[in-house]
Amino acid sequence: MGNTGFEKKITLLRPNDIKPTFFKKIAAMGIKDMITFKNVNKWFGKHHVLKEINLNVEPGEVLVVCGPSGSGKSTLLRCINRLESLQSGEIIIDGIKVHGRETNITKLRAEIGFVFQQFNLYPHMTAIENITIAPIKVRKLKKEVARKLGQEILDKVGLGDKAGSYPSQLSGGQQQRVAIARGLCMQPKIMLFDEPTSSLDPEMINEVLDVIRNLANEGMTMIVVTHEMGFAREAANRVAFIDEGRLVEIAPPEKFFKNPKNERTRLFLSKILAR
Amino acid sequence: MWGYYLEQLIGSLPLFLKGLGITAAVSILSLVGGTIIGFFLGVIRAGGIKPVRFLIGGWVDLIRGTPFLVQLFIVFFIFPDVGIHLDALPAAVLSLTNLSACFICEIVAGGILAVPAGQKEAAAASGLSAYQQMRYLVMPQAMPTILPPLVGQYVLLIKDSSVISVIGVVDITRVGWLTVQRIPEGLMVFGLVGILYFIICYPIIRFSNLLEKRMKFGKYRF
Repeated sequence: MGNTGFEKKITLLRPNDIKPTFFKKIAAMGIKDMITFKNVNKWFGKHHVLKEINLNVEPGEVLVVCGPSGSGKSTLLRCINRLESLQSGEIIIDGIKVHGRETNITKLRAEIGFVFQQFNLYPHMTAIENITIAPIKVRKLKKEVARKLGQEILDKVGLGDKAGSYPSQLSGGQQQRVAIARGLCMQPKIMLFDEPTSSLDPEMINEVLDVIRNLANEGMTMIVVTHEMGFAREAANRVAFIDEGRLVEIAPPEKFFKNPKNERTRLFLSKILAR
Repeated sequence: MWGYYLEQLIGSLPLFLKGLGITAAVSILSLVGGTIIGFFLGVIRAGGIKPVRFLIGGWVDLIRGTPFLVQLFIVFFIFPDVGIHLDALPAAVLSLTNLSACFICEIVAGGILAVPAGQKEAAAASGLSAYQQMRYLVMPQAMPTILPPLVGQYVLLIKDSSVISVIGVVDITRVGWLTVQRIPEGLMVFGLVGILYFIICYPIIRFSNLLEKRMKFGKYRF
């Protein structure tokens, strides 16, 4: 874990990793990690939520994180854009220490899209306003330019006709797609998903997963916290299992599902796949 | 006798209007000042660093927990002991501004805290600065919660301003005191005083009710 050795990079380039923009991204960035966790520890009071997490995510990689509720997966995700603080260790994104004192956190956050379980759309704004507010205010795009971009992205998530709708007029699945569009509209380097389908009715889950799947195919670097194992199997480059704050196992999906090394992973999978 | 008194009262109407002017001026000054300072304090109280939050909270509790009359006396009679000499009018405006700022601070802080935490997180996650989060997302959503009680508070403060008559500010109430010495018909004189306050306050009460209805059925309420 945590090494950035050359061998590892070679083994990673399995055929199903080769996506249109994958090599381009690597060439642009040089071979280095997009997200690195180094001995990360986090406490909520006396509760040790994250224990010695070491993890690295490469450009264009899709990492699915699963684990029982309360295991720390959401916290892990929220640490990446500093919605949570750390007590020790560090997280490095594209060479920048996230929790560093001198880090301009708003600038860094602009490069990271975050999708919440509860959508958290702004209820007083229409869909297009929701997704263009940050590009206008943070990226300083002209309003018309931002709107055009926003409309393109809404089209992409299949909601081109909903630009003028308020969140309360949209279904859960539509709201979550707007939330994804809001992240994409900042043209981020990384997208983080915190249980994006957990508060949706079953029939709406797929429309959201399809959007995330498309992003994966385009080579977006993503960490997705989810219990949708079907999605993990198809779209993930690696799957991580977290239990009681520890990163128990991390492996490519075929290995993770067919032949999990750890007993706890096996138990968790048997429970979740039996559903 | 009543007719004679009524005539006298009508004769002193200019004095009453002057009093009305003073009450209006003091109220407007303190309410505008109190609103600006109150919003400022409220925002800090809802999201600033801990020591500052506690400091503001302590001050607000102190002011809300003591009679306005006592605060006014301290400003007017005790401040000169420490070298701050204020005339009655500035002392009145200062005390009333402080009082309104404290009440409004609590209303504003309450409104801000009622906005779900996820809203701020979502805004922060997309790279908006703390100021931008407040300006574009938190405040617009807090306003429907803040406005109706805020306007209601204005009415209370305008009525509280009658207390300033005791330090010699010639507001409506003071005019009433002065008039009743010439026209010993208390009901009539203070009836007029009451009516004048009512004339200022009633439109504001109606406005507050209207706001409350509007906000409840606003298009973006859940």
